Amino acid sequence: MASEVLAKPQMRGLLARRLRIHMVGAFLVSLGVAALYKFAVAEPRKKAYADFYKNYSPEKDFEEMKKAGIFRSIK
Amino acid sequence: QNAASPIMEELIAFHDHALMIIFLISSLVLYIISLMLTTKLTHTSTMNAQEIEMIWTILPAMILIMIALPSLRILYMTDEFNKPYLTLKAIGHQWYWSYEYSDYEDLAFDSYIMPTYFLEPGEFRLLEVDNRTTLPMEADIRVLISSQDVLHSWAVPSLGVKTDAIPGRLNQAMVASMRPGLY
Repeated sequence: MASEVLAKPQMRGLLARRLRIHMVGAFLVSLGVAALYKFAVAEPRKKAYADFYKNYSPEKDFEEMKKAGIFRSIK
Repeated sequence: QNAASPIMEELIAFHDHALMIIFLISSLVLYIISLMLTTKLTHTSTMNAQEIEMIWTILPAMILIMIALPSLRILYMTDEFNKPYLTLKAIGHQWYWSYEYSDYEDLAFDSYIMPTYFLEPGEFRLLEVDNRTTLPMEADIRVLISSQDVLHSWAVPSLGVKTDAIPGRLNQAMVASMRPGLY
């Protein structure tokens, strides 16, 4: 029965093509995970430390701690 | 715990850096494993794999260098010797520490752990001692650590200090706290 001839399916190079696409994808995913960690955890942590120490007065903190009674050597 | 000394801050930042690299490598390996397990295609005639071998030798070498350089920087930073304001000697015994301040006048005392039944509410179990060691803040302090009998270790987590107390040997640690408090 004559009907349209289907296009010949891709037979060769399948694994190579799959590997190529997914290798690039794998690298992008892992770099994305690293970037996500860096910008969601590491940078906010550094910023939190910097913000804490920006307007920090150790003497004032010390007076508050002394008033709270934590130290045993000075009341 | 939060860092209370510049060295501990550096250590926490380095830990973040190393953990980021760990996540990078683990997610890559996990992805590749799932890729291997979900294919029906096979390749049975691999004879020559020069390019990929080069890649997976050079890439880990670069990653290791990225880990090693900050690590060495912090290592040398911990051994930096600024002029200390005060010297404290911490000597380990079984099972207490004795401290000596001998710069200006001789002061020495023993510091035993507070048994649990003596603790007031609000105090930390297994961390409280009867005589606390008092040190000035925002000052570089040299701590000389040794032991009388067996191996001990003197550590303050939030200041980033952990040094072994070895009988017959004097180890030096530098302590500099940026905030007042109980550590």
